[in-house]
Amino acid sequence: MELLMNLTINGLATGMLIFLLAAGLTLIFGLMDVLNFAHGGLFAWGAFSSVWFYSLTESFVLAILGAILTGIILGFITEKLIIKPVYGNHVQQILITLGFMLVLTEMLKVVFGPNQIAAKTPAYFAGSWEIGDVIIIKYRVFIIVVGFLVFGIVQYILKKTKVGLIVRAGVMNKEMVQTLGININNVFLYVFIAGAVLASLGGALMAPYSGVIYAEMGMEFAILGFIVVVIGGMGSFPGSLLAAILVGLTGSYMAYYVPSLSLAVNMLIMAIVLIFRPQGLFRVKG
Amino acid sequence: MTTKYQWNNIFLTIIVIVLFIFPFVTDSRTWTILLTQIFIFSILAMSYDILLGYTGIVSFGHAMFFGIGAYTTGVMLDRVEPTIGVFILSIVTGMIIAGIISFIVGLLTLRLKSHFYAMLTLALSGLFLVLTEKWRSLTSGNDGFTFRAPEVFKDRAVFYLVVLVCLVVTYILLRRFVQSPLGHILVAVRENEQRTKSLGFKVLHYKVIASVVAGVVASLAGALYAISLRFVNTSVLTMDITLDALLMTIIGGVGTLIGPIIGAGVIELSQHYLSGLAKEYPIFERWIIFFGILYILVVIFFPAGIVGTIRQAYYKRKKPHVVEGRSNSEDL
Repeated sequence: MELLMNLTINGLATGMLIFLLAAGLTLIFGLMDVLNFAHGGLFAWGAFSSVWFYSLTESFVLAILGAILTGIILGFITEKLIIKPVYGNHVQQILITLGFMLVLTEMLKVVFGPNQIAAKTPAYFAGSWEIGDVIIIKYRVFIIVVGFLVFGIVQYILKKTKVGLIVRAGVMNKEMVQTLGININNVFLYVFIAGAVLASLGGALMAPYSGVIYAEMGMEFAILGFIVVVIGGMGSFPGSLLAAILVGLTGSYMAYYVPSLSLAVNMLIMAIVLIFRPQGLFRVKG
Repeated sequence: MTTKYQWNNIFLTIIVIVLFIFPFVTDSRTWTILLTQIFIFSILAMSYDILLGYTGIVSFGHAMFFGIGAYTTGVMLDRVEPTIGVFILSIVTGMIIAGIISFIVGLLTLRLKSHFYAMLTLALSGLFLVLTEKWRSLTSGNDGFTFRAPEVFKDRAVFYLVVLVCLVVTYILLRRFVQSPLGHILVAVRENEQRTKSLGFKVLHYKVIASVVAGVVASLAGALYAISLRFVNTSVLTMDITLDALLMTIIGGVGTLIGPIIGAGVIELSQHYLSGLAKEYPIFERWIIFFGILYILVVIFFPAGIVGTIRQAYYKRKKPHVVEGRSNSEDL
């Protein structure tokens, strides 16, 4: 029983990290119809910059803020230079963002060196609670809380506020929103930056969780993120939350019970979902 | 038109003859190996172009078929004996396996929309990579294994000629393929899938054919690659191989067969020189950055690639009133 509890909490925490990554992807794909393969690069930059800020300031809050700042800057640059020329063309989006991904990953090695870097957990999240036989690592609980919080905030903004209304309307009919006097290009820029911030935030939270960061982590997690987005139904926010939890949990259970399958299980889930339900678990309504 | 084609053919024939004479004139081992490598990746890039350039589908799982070819040849030459007969048999076996798998994969995946298809091929090739890593008795897992190539190939020049013959034959066959009525239907699918469907063509049917052809040719490239290294490991199945093929295709020019060959030349040569430069200037150790930037610039400024851009300029000069029917920047 305690084993199951531990595995579940592990799985949930991993799922939440993947969700933060997938949330940015969902936002960018679902709203702007842009396939961003450089998303993992933004994630890795978030991780590296937070570790750098942490070593500089010894403050976890400042480290997270630093990562968010990195996300804003990189998101701005990416949208202006990379995404803008290829709006509305999926194939070119795939190609150009893949190229940018290579640049981002290699730039990490140039700036921070090619080696792995250790990431510390802040003192107040280190350690664990023990309830009976169940050991609950504090940092994992923190990640789970942040994950649900982010889901709630983004969902609220999209569904209940005027900004969300403009964004959703802009997706349905760009010209109409434009004629109403709203600069849709700016709106898309902000949405992209928001997606980039979610990615870098995910990276920043990931760093103390895995304890070690390296430049290639971007691509590894980006693939997980894509799997989650595809399983959940591209562009569906609740869908990617559910899919992220599903992927996190199965990953955690499989790693314990059927280790030989654990590497392939995500791919298997995605292949099965796509074959039987190509639109994903949740359908996106217009 | 005919004269243009004739000139093209004469030009190509001259180049091929020069390449055939090359190993007899010079002794440069580096160049022989480098050119062999370029030819092998030309075959891979051409096969990728059948998908990307002619049918307009982006596959992220192309390394899978490359890997099938490489592993089939590696395993057979290792287990049976390294003779020419077994070598040819292993290539044929690899092609058959690749053909069957690409047929099944194509049937399963090609009904999906472009980005879902890309994701699913990524997932399937990921599965394949895991399978290869786990099936240690056959593949020795991550470490890979060395094997002996047929005795004749000890001479690099002989292998060079064999690969060159493979390249020329593949080029001729693929050109026949894309110029056939079937090839034209593929282009129609690329240009407008809906319209092709409403004309009564079974689009899925033709896409699967394209995917099988691409898979089979890619497995040939993989087999030759394995022989050139006399070693095979899981790196032949990684995303890097697919990305290389993708980059070669778009730099050379999508929707042409010469383009991928030129692209392969450009990429392999610049990889060679940039990693050579890295010994002197540390900045070039991160030469992948230059590739990333090249990638971005090509997509923005030369979406048609080297050959496509030249061709467009040629058409514009020749017949200014003809609007170039095919523009890659739209939706390929």
